[in-house]
Amino acid sequence: MRREATVKASLAAALAGLVLWGGLPLYRHRHFGVPVVKGPGVTAVLKLSEFSKGLEGTAADTTVFVLQGKEPGGRALVMGNTHASEPEGMLTALIFIEHAVVEKGTLYVIPFFNASAGRNTRPGDGYPLYFDVPTEWGSKRFRFGNRDASPLDQWPDPDVTVHYPTKQLLSYIDARNTNRTWPGRPGGLPMERVTFGAMELIRREKVDLAIDIHGAETMFPVTNCIVAPEKSVRVATMAALTVKAAEGFESHVEPSPPRFHGLSHREIGDHSDALPFLLEAPIPFLDQPTGPKTVEFFLDGKDPFLLSLSKKKKLFVPYDETGWSLEKRVGQHCSTTLEIFRQFSRRNADRALVVKGVPRYAEILENGVGHYYADPSKAAPGTVLRH
Amino acid sequence: MTLQILIILAVMIAAYALSKAFRLSVELSMFAAAVMGGIAGAFVAATPAAGDLARHLVEGASTYLDVILVFFTATLFMTIVSESGGVSYAVRTALRVFGRKRLAALLVLMVIVLIPGALTGAGSVSLLVVGAPVALALGRLGVPRKKVAAILFIVAGLSAAAPPVNIWAMILCAGTAIPYVGFELTLGIPVLLLGSFTVLVLGWKKDPAAAADVPDVPEAPAGMNWWRVLTPFVVFFGLIAAYRLWPFRAPVLGLALPFVFAGAAALVVSPRKIAFLRLSRETVARLLPLLSTMVVVGMLQQIMTVTGVRGLLSFAVISTPLVLLFLLLPVIIPFSEGVLTYGGAAIIGIPLIWYLDSLGFHATVVIAGLSLLWPLGDGLPPTALIGRLSNMVTGYTGSYRGFLASTWLPWLVVTAVGMLMVLFSSRLAFLVRWSM
Repeated sequence: MRREATVKASLAAALAGLVLWGGLPLYRHRHFGVPVVKGPGVTAVLKLSEFSKGLEGTAADTTVFVLQGKEPGGRALVMGNTHASEPEGMLTALIFIEHAVVEKGTLYVIPFFNASAGRNTRPGDGYPLYFDVPTEWGSKRFRFGNRDASPLDQWPDPDVTVHYPTKQLLSYIDARNTNRTWPGRPGGLPMERVTFGAMELIRREKVDLAIDIHGAETMFPVTNCIVAPEKSVRVATMAALTVKAAEGFESHVEPSPPRFHGLSHREIGDHSDALPFLLEAPIPFLDQPTGPKTVEFFLDGKDPFLLSLSKKKKLFVPYDETGWSLEKRVGQHCSTTLEIFRQFSRRNADRALVVKGVPRYAEILENGVGHYYADPSKAAPGTVLRH
Repeated sequence: MTLQILIILAVMIAAYALSKAFRLSVELSMFAAAVMGGIAGAFVAATPAAGDLARHLVEGASTYLDVILVFFTATLFMTIVSESGGVSYAVRTALRVFGRKRLAALLVLMVIVLIPGALTGAGSVSLLVVGAPVALALGRLGVPRKKVAAILFIVAGLSAAAPPVNIWAMILCAGTAIPYVGFELTLGIPVLLLGSFTVLVLGWKKDPAAAADVPDVPEAPAGMNWWRVLTPFVVFFGLIAAYRLWPFRAPVLGLALPFVFAGAAALVVSPRKIAFLRLSRETVARLLPLLSTMVVVGMLQQIMTVTGVRGLLSFAVISTPLVLLFLLLPVIIPFSEGVLTYGGAAIIGIPLIWYLDSLGFHATVVIAGLSLLWPLGDGLPPTALIGRLSNMVTGYTGSYRGFLASTWLPWLVVTAVGMLMVLFSSRLAFLVRWSM
């Protein structure tokens, strides 16, 4: 009897030790702050809760960087980390925050749109907790997040998600997915408050263009593209044709399905005057039939299984030994975003948006993504925020 | 890379086999496979990094935390109802009313099992809520216990696939950006037909010895009546229905909390005094193997991904030639569910749907067809969640293999229907249109 008690106590102690040893890195991940260096173009820093009061003091509240030009003009919103497992959007948004100088119009940038998802991990999926982007001054560390908000911030999940306002049924997990909760509502679940805040920003500030930056699997048909509803198709098509002709990369236009609700490219356009666009670049790391999910694989996008599937024509993007690097993905997003601004401005001279200083595809391929991030330890006082 | 992953997979299989040889439980054997797989990964391919192994185990352990909570609260709720005498009262009344109308009795019992799973997307909820009383009723109708377990297993699986909530279809729709619409008739018709077929094929023949074998349904305690029996269920289904009817006004309770409230209602209306703490302890003890399976499956899934084993399996499926793939799907799909539970739908299902969609198959019908096959895997080891639950609520203690063998005919018919839906998905697209 006494021996049994000793064995049980020892096992319980071993289990507690394992939970502590394994749980501590998860705790640290949730509380890790990514340094964001404000560039010369940033004129104001707001919180999304200023547009959606229900977010105030919650982990879902997030930072909005405002880059106002000297001349009035058009207005655009750029969002990254709607899905924090697709961090290319956030990396692109940070390049805009550090380098963009707006000459005409105003740019709003939300780099960590689903802030809670950025502090969540992917149980069962074995992702790294962080990834380091090499720079000239060392490496800049980022959290690897999840597609959905953390259950620590929004729980319990409904047995099935009912989309507001259409009542379309969605998977239970989509209640925590900020690309299924548009247009949101002020008193709804935290993620509905996030999208409601962005909708309010778009409506109050009279935003003309809303760009939601994502990434997708190479086996996903809707990848390497600009998803656009009817009202945005003309600008999207011209942007796609121009980047292909002038910069040599493909980003075709996919129509936004009119009956699939909750997505940014559908609801922003239906509930405001803004033209929405959702950018997708292929992230091989997200595919299921791949080798181990390592940081190296995330950065270079090279995988032998995907290469083999590509030869069997089972991927939706061209894929060879060079993989699909982070530089390619972020470069595409920077160029496509700038091109959407340019195409819109050509057709709406009175609402033109002129943004300078942001590198394009070829420059990012040549210099690397990390080249565009300043060393936070050497940044001027008051210019570094941790998110 | 492939060789390294194959070595890791071999180590995991060897660890599992060795643990079983030492007569360790399924859960401990899977835990050993996860730990040894992680260690092999650290040594052979440096994935995971040795210092990161504990994090992966702990993170993986939380994968199915919600499911675990639902299992526990649902079982506790049903145990309270049973302890209060509600189950005895309901079964006695059902037998009195339907005892002589076998066809009606069997079909009504089948529909009763379908409803909770259809509403929640979890066959386990069907078994935990209505499994025990339906098992007793089937037993009193002269259905042998093994066949009762088989009926419950197949029908509970179908209930999980039935509309409006089908978790496999929802995972696939979420992962493939296909709207979760058009499934009502596409899933509803096959589920009703297959459920009727199962209950009639396995339950039609009456075995008087079997009826005698079933313990006499205990007398309901004095004061028990329909109001007391139904109130906890009204609370549960009322809370579920309230969110569907008024989704933007009703609070989001999930599944576990409605079971807690329903359990509290059952305690309040019980004509007997119930020792709640004792009952809770017993429920935990009874569920422990099942709950620990869920914890360990999450760990195993995480280690399989971080080492590349999961990717290799997914790669093997996707790179199989189409005709061979169709021949293998009836094995691969249930097997993936048996190993990974819902993870199988994400790992194999999502790339498979994209692939078939690109070849011109109708994605919604394909998803519906495949989602009839996944529940069958819930009877397969190592997890065998629904199979074990159906054994548990039935009180069947014979060989598990014998139980599985008794499901062969409905298993084959369900598989055939699911595969025909996949193969002829384009011709069945009218079901999707009619549903909308």
